[in-house]
Amino acid sequence: MQLKKRAKEIVQKSLKMITIQLNGEPESLPEASALSDLLAHIGSDGKTLATLVNDQVVRPPERTAHILREGDRVEILVFAGGG
Amino acid sequence: MDHLQLAAHTFSSRLILGTGKFSSAALMLEAVKASGAQLVTVALRRFNREQLEDDLFGPLSEMPGITLMPNTSGASTAAEAIKAAHISRELSGSPFIKVEIHPNPQHLMPDPIETMEAARVLASEGFLVMPYISPDPVLAKRLEDVGCASVMPLGSAIGSGQGLASAAMLSIIIRESSIPVIVDAGLRAPSEAARAMEMGCSAVLVNSAIAASDNPAEMAAAFRDATDAGRRAFKAGLMRESSEAVATSPLTSFLGEQS
Repeated sequence: MQLKKRAKEIVQKSLKMITIQLNGEPESLPEASALSDLLAHIGSDGKTLATLVNDQVVRPPERTAHILREGDRVEILVFAGGG
Repeated sequence: MDHLQLAAHTFSSRLILGTGKFSSAALMLEAVKASGAQLVTVALRRFNREQLEDDLFGPLSEMPGITLMPNTSGASTAAEAIKAAHISRELSGSPFIKVEIHPNPQHLMPDPIETMEAARVLASEGFLVMPYISPDPVLAKRLEDVGCASVMPLGSAIGSGQGLASAAMLSIIIRESSIPVIVDAGLRAPSEAARAMEMGCSAVLVNSAIAASDNPAEMAAAFRDATDAGRRAFKAGLMRESSEAVATSPLTSFLGEQS
């Protein structure tokens, strides 16, 4: 387990990381991550989410090709209970 | 058949359910089922990885016969509401949008000026706009003029349970309106839903009264029955009110009466 964690750290260090704003909070991602990678990272298939990057809606078919850049403001939205 | 008509969309149920404030998603889904509602409201919120159960789109879209009506709650300006509407349509695919713009969290009264502007823009973009408004007959007519699919005046303040405090104004709106009038907010008891329907409302939107009940599914069923009863009574026609008693039994030829 310790070894696995160490290996992950080494891999992460060898990748250049970027920081984006995810729903207003900083989030680190490997450089050249796509929006779809971010969704996988947070454990969602993205089917029930709306995504915006820098205030622009990014539709589901465009998420794989949409590469995130340093400082991007990403909003991920869902339908919650409301009257 | 007596159906609720909203633009080109037809619904057999005249009870619209809000999905907020339920103690769990499972209880909310049970209540939706028991209510017979075909239109349910949802709110757009930031994804929270600690609260995955907040995501209601999946479970609601799996329920047969349910159309989502996203709301713009959280918006305090027309621009914010328009943005929320665009995102909601992207996600839900539903043309319905409940325009709800309340800048003051203390009383949650809708801003008529921002609501008017958002409704005008969204209706021109093809949304079926359902604006939540104060019971103002002039505003209701102006919203009709810009192409809203309905108007949704409040019975009383959101979540207050004060019932049809606005009954006198609602009567005017119902009389003047050529589009469906839906009472939204403030209802506490099924009898109030029945009364709204007897007055000629086209539908009622209920949330807190059901969500805050000890048994939401049972209360949802009660609202369903009351809404139906009120509608049937309206269609049948209520008798005229009289300031004096009018006997139902013959008052003459009683036993021992001298002729």
